[in-house]
Amino acid sequence: MANEDLKYTESHEWARQEGDVVTVGLSDYAVEQLGDIVFLELPSVGDQVTKGAPFGAIESVKAAADIYAPVSGEVAEVNEALPDEPELFKTDCFGQAWLIKIKPSDPAQWDSLMDTAAYAEHVRGQ
Amino acid sequence: MEHYKQTVFHDRHVELGAKMVEFVGWHMPIQYPAGIVQEHLATRNKAGLFDVSHMGRFVFRGEEALAFLQYVLSNNSAGLEEGECQYAIIPNERGGAVDDSYLYRFYKDEYLLVVNGANRQKDWDHFQAVLPRFKQVEMTDKTEELTMVSLQGPESKEILLGVIEEGELPEPMRNELSIVKIKGAEILLARTGYTGEPICFELFIERKDAVGIWDLLLEKGAQPIGLGARDTLRLEAALPLYGHEFGEDPGGEEMPIMSCPLARFAVSFSPLKGDYIGREPLFKQFEALKLILNRDYSRREDLPRLTMPLALTGRGVARAGDKVYRDGRLVGYIASGTMVPHWQKEGEGLFEHFIDEKGMRAICLAYVDCDLLEDDLVEVEIRGKRTSGVIVPYHMRSEAPPYARPIGYDQLHPEEEAIPDDQARKKVLTLLNKARENTIWRQRECINLIPSEMTPSAMTRLLSIMDPADRYAEHKQMKAFCDAEVFYYQGTDFIGEVERLLVNELCKYLGCTEVETRVVSGQMANTGVFSALVDYLNRTDRKSEQRRIRHVMNHHIIKGGHLSAQPMGALRDFVARDPKTEKPAVVNFPVRADNPYKVDVEACREIIEEFKPELIILGKSMIIHKEPVAEMRALIDEIYPDCVLMYDMAHVLGLVGPYFQEPFKEGADIVTGSTHKTFFGPQRGVIACNYKEQDLEYELWEAIQRRAFPGSVSNHHLGTLVGLLLASYEMNCFKAEYQKQVVANAKAFARALKECGLEVAGDPAISYTETHQVIINVGYARGTEAARRLEKNNIIVNYQASPVEEGFTAAGSLRTGVSEMTRFGMKEKDFKQVAQLIRDVIDGKKGVKEEVTAFRKRFLELKYCFSEKEFDEAVQKLHELV
Repeated sequence: MANEDLKYTESHEWARQEGDVVTVGLSDYAVEQLGDIVFLELPSVGDQVTKGAPFGAIESVKAAADIYAPVSGEVAEVNEALPDEPELFKTDCFGQAWLIKIKPSDPAQWDSLMDTAAYAEHVRGQ
Repeated sequence: MEHYKQTVFHDRHVELGAKMVEFVGWHMPIQYPAGIVQEHLATRNKAGLFDVSHMGRFVFRGEEALAFLQYVLSNNSAGLEEGECQYAIIPNERGGAVDDSYLYRFYKDEYLLVVNGANRQKDWDHFQAVLPRFKQVEMTDKTEELTMVSLQGPESKEILLGVIEEGELPEPMRNELSIVKIKGAEILLARTGYTGEPICFELFIERKDAVGIWDLLLEKGAQPIGLGARDTLRLEAALPLYGHEFGEDPGGEEMPIMSCPLARFAVSFSPLKGDYIGREPLFKQFEALKLILNRDYSRREDLPRLTMPLALTGRGVARAGDKVYRDGRLVGYIASGTMVPHWQKEGEGLFEHFIDEKGMRAICLAYVDCDLLEDDLVEVEIRGKRTSGVIVPYHMRSEAPPYARPIGYDQLHPEEEAIPDDQARKKVLTLLNKARENTIWRQRECINLIPSEMTPSAMTRLLSIMDPADRYAEHKQMKAFCDAEVFYYQGTDFIGEVERLLVNELCKYLGCTEVETRVVSGQMANTGVFSALVDYLNRTDRKSEQRRIRHVMNHHIIKGGHLSAQPMGALRDFVARDPKTEKPAVVNFPVRADNPYKVDVEACREIIEEFKPELIILGKSMIIHKEPVAEMRALIDEIYPDCVLMYDMAHVLGLVGPYFQEPFKEGADIVTGSTHKTFFGPQRGVIACNYKEQDLEYELWEAIQRRAFPGSVSNHHLGTLVGLLLASYEMNCFKAEYQKQVVANAKAFARALKECGLEVAGDPAISYTETHQVIINVGYARGTEAARRLEKNNIIVNYQASPVEEGFTAAGSLRTGVSEMTRFGMKEKDFKQVAQLIRDVIDGKKGVKEEVTAFRKRFLELKYCFSEKEFDEAVQKLHELV
């Protein structure tokens, strides 16, 4: 699996640390499971998010799923273009299909996330 | 996943890369690699193949099988003939649903019931508990040995036609069945489905043959579709799913069966059905529903909520269980909901078509308070936030085959183009100029091949606008004055004389004793006869409720029958309901397997013996053969002499005589017709009979006269009656040459069309036609486009569904007639040229508009009529008076 610098949650979000913000997205496994993604609900810039709590929702034809924050903090940026272009999840889920950027309130939370190898193991167990 | 059951197609799904999930105990494909959205769209514009073998299939046989089914199902199974199927609910004692189901009768003595996979065991147990009350009912679970696949979508018919080795597709109506052979295997084939597709088939296949058929259908172009798209397709079509629209609502309450709009067609209270499980509560629900539909909510406790389509207008996707509010008050729940794809459309009306671009919309079925109405604005709570929605009548329409057409909320109330309010003088000038342009185009530049149209002679037209046009001449015969005609108005001597002469002229033409000329159209003529027959049938008892005609035998509309002889048309208010089928008591002429344009006379005997029709209506709007008048006469005389034999000669009134048919000589009791198709008149209708005054049936004739006046008309467009008198003089004078030429031209035209490579319907041995009509087959669902293209090239025809097509929007035929152009002097060789021009347009090789216009210029003078020159002085004097 590429993206060696990424970390993951058990609920299939990925997180990437860049400077003082953490970018969040959905793993390829999550995207594959959801199928055709048709709707996305994201927070606004300035909202507070809490590690392990839902900050948004994603809907496919089949089902709706909550999206959970990998770390707590303030929403610094939102991918406004994404709701209109859900195909990006299929083509570039680790890049252009990022969801939000969080300014973490507790940088120590980063270490509690799974690394790539641990996440791969987690997916195998699903 | 070994503990889950597998259908016979399991390995195929895995090989195709399907995402397999557990579904009601089965390991089933939720989607294939294409994904739900693409699978949904492919079903809507091509063809989708679904493995639905997880559904339960029970077979019932034995002496009381029908009685048993009547007791456990909501519909009237007695109305199901061999070769038909019907939707039915399995009710419980409370009027809720144990399940919903489809009942198929492929064989006379065997019923096949398909139930939901989720409820197979429950249904089985429910039936087992009831079974001991019935004698000798053999119930077998055939779920494993008889597999089931569904082939849905506009291309599914072509795919099947390409693989069927023996047997025919079912008749082109929903719920029709047939048995065919594919790859040597016997397949039970039904026109049913769960997608809303108008072109839809379900196949029941023996397990050993199933995979081979599956592979073949995919090879021929069907795409495999998973359960995911099956659900979005049925949601878009607003079809109920047990567990969502039946069963318990999200609040845990049982939903009454009648809350589902489709249930109204699946629940019967026919006295023939008698008592059955749930009948009493269902009847209460039905009584409440009837009031609700009249916006009377006084009995709403019996039916508090109904399932209604709901479209989200705000952002989001509503799901089952989401709450629905109106004006801040909770009014119900979403029963089913998701985001559903659709093809975008372009073009208007008949010429609307899908473009290669998809849209998505969030749509639902909502279980909401029964007083909600179409267009009511609501809110749906999604994850704690409310988003706006609206109650809509439907999400999609299926009645314009071959496509199911999505209808968005924004398309339900389109803005009408405003008509500019110009100055009156400008409007007048525009109207005058456009009328002139249209007349020049239709009269001098077009080849008109509409078989129901005719240009009357100039003198006929002139007379039609002279006084007494715009006047009244109500009259009736009065016995008190020794049967003299008594007129209610003064100034009517001339028109009274015209009517008398016209009746005389038409009696001579038709070879009969009586003609009624006051009806102003062929449809009105038929309505008049039907109404009179009801009157006649009740003549011995004027106090009781007047009963309708018990059974009528006619041509099915798809086999060429005209609206004016159908329950959906003029027959509607005069034919009884058959208590067995709970539909209008109409039986259709069987048609010959080798020629669907011809009545299968042999097969009529059994039908007349069984139904004893009180009225048989011959005559069609797609008519290329003589009608079997003498044959029907013989059958009636032998089996049921009280039956009235009517021949609606609307199309062929102008062909009465030795070159076609002589209806009264052949035994018709009544002839109706319109005067402007093959006949020479302006647009009116006529009714004729051959009863004598001393006949018992003469009372029917008197009723017909009463139903003409005062029953149908007060003024009857008197001007055209004068025109019709002249047209009748013309017809009686010129009919021999005209009729001979019409039939010769039609045969020559048909042969020429065939020779230049077009498909012509009918029997080549008789040059395809015995009338003025020629039917060209241009290919399934290509008729409308071909007709439009011909019109752009100044050739006017009308598109027509052939006997194997599902409806006029899927028309693959062009109906043409040679009568009007024959009257303008065209002969056999000219029609050969017309055939070439048509071929050029249909092939798309070249535009022929100018060629057609130039060709038409050679045929501007009307024949088979008296020369105006001969009466020049009198004609000029009339012109001066206009």
